[in-house]
Parts: sequence; structure tokens; C-alpha cells
Amino acid sequence: MSEQEEQSLITDEHRAIIGVRGEPYPVIVAGEHASRMRDILEDSDPRWADGTGMAPPYALASFGGRPSRNMPFILPNGLLTQQEWRFNRPFRVGEELQAVAYVADIRERLGGRYGHSVLVTSAVDYLDSEGNVVASALSMLTQFDPARAKKEGAE
Amino acid sequence: MTRYYEDVNIDEEIPPVEKTPTEDLAVDFFGRGNPMNPAFADAAAGKRLGLKGALVPGMLKIAWMTQYANDWAGPESTLENIRVAYRRPDMAGTPLTLSGRVVDKRQEAGKGIVEVEVVTLADGQPSVRGNVQLVLPIRG
Repeated sequence: MSEQEEQSLITDEHRAIIGVRGEPYPVIVAGEHASRMRDILEDSDPRWADGTGMAPPYALASFGGRPSRNMPFILPNGLLTQQEWRFNRPFRVGEELQAVAYVADIRERLGGRYGHSVLVTSAVDYLDSEGNVVASALSMLTQFDPARAKKEGAE
Repeated sequence: MTRYYEDVNIDEEIPPVEKTPTEDLAVDFFGRGNPMNPAFADAAAGKRLGLKGALVPGMLKIAWMTQYANDWAGPESTLENIRVAYRRPDMAGTPLTLSGRVVDKRQEAGKGIVEVEVVTLADGQPSVRGNVQLVLPIRG
């Protein structure tokens, strides 16, 4: 089948979930996690030293971002291929944030290492008590079918 | 040491740093007892996925890249954004070299913005490529 004839795997149902925000859930910028991560990385940056009340940006990795409830699994296998963290201000140790997850984008790719694959970008916004976005985390999952990738002679 | 916007040059190289990921480090990063991919902690689980051993978590690598950029930029800087592409899996026990280069600098709305490209190299091959946007102080 040529690329032109290849049928899209993305349906209107999939497109309809893009941007639909899930219910907020609380996450805490826990001092114990922030300092553990900092110490494991041997990070001596004075901005998040003990007593400053600030957490390093990578404390975001401790929030355990739940995937969006709407996250579609269109193909059987998935690999994390891209990730992005955005920060509007530093994290404060002990603060509670509201996490809101959503599917930010769905697109597909023909050919390449994974054959006909689907790229799903999910996002989580972390908001403070005033409703301001403190940080966002985006992850792109490349979904693929290993059997199909092999059949199509992918790299 | 404070690094000022004016002192940064496009194409400037950032001194490389070596990190050695291990299974224990991955487990401790997430916290013992917290849920994680078993392949991060167990070489056998990694091999069941067709890998050569235990997988280095992407979160650990993006955290190292964040730390690397912040260390270079200094305590007066602000990291606004980091975007990475995972090109190939990294295995626990294989050292990673982080290297970086300034790819752009500009002033916007009074802010001194510097963009840095950061790469992790395993056995000399890039495994993660990233771009970091930082705000550096401007001399008054």
C-alpha cells in the first residue's frame, strides 16, 4: 500500500478529545522528595539548599503525573520519545498544586523507525491556589505496532 | 557565580560533565517503594523488553540536563523551558557525557534569553538531545 493509500488511524473521536481537560487532582511539592532528588543528583545549587523553602525544577518528576483519562491507545506498543517541562515560577516546598491533565495533540507518521506510528502528546498543567500555571509537563508517546513496523520494512 | 547575558556568546561551548547512571540511583531518584517501570531497577526486566540491561529513566536524564544547564547559567538565572527528544535507550552502568552549546541569545521584554542545546552521549553516540531556554541577568 502506498503512503497516499494508507488509511489514517486517527478518528474524529480521537480528535474530539484534544484539549479536553480532566478533573483537577492535588499534588504536593514535598520537601522530602525534593531534597532526596537534589541529594541523589549531588546538586549544590544554593537556590534550593535546605532552609530556602524552594524546590529544584526536577521536583516535578516526583508528582507522578497521571496520564489523561482520555489518553487514546491506538496502537499496541508505546515509547516515550519526547518530553518538555515549562516553568513560570519556582516550586515552593510544601505548596499544594492542582494538576490538570489533557491530551494536547495527536498526529501520525508514515515510515521511519516505527512504520506507521501515532504520536500522542499528553500534558499536565500544575496550578497554584490562585489559578496560575506554575509549571507544565508534556510527554510524547510514539505508539506503534511492532508486527506492522517489521512488515513495512521500518528501520 | 553569576553569569550575565552580556558575557554569553552564541556557539559558546559548555564544559562537559560525566554522569554514571545505576539501577540504585534510578530507584533512589524516584524513591524506594514508589511505583516505577521495573526495567529501571532490574536488568532482567530490561532484557525481557529486548534491551541490554536496566533502562535509565528519561526523567532522570531530563533532571540531569536541567541541573547541567542551571549549573552553567548560575544562581541568578531562571530556567523557563526544557524540551528533549529521546533518541535511543541508555543502559544503567554506561556513563553519560552531558555537553552543551549556546545556540541563541536575544532580549525580549527586558529579559536576557539564552537558548542552550544539551546532548547526552553514551559511548560517543547521542542518546538524548535537548533545548533549554534560560533567562540570565542583564548588567544594569
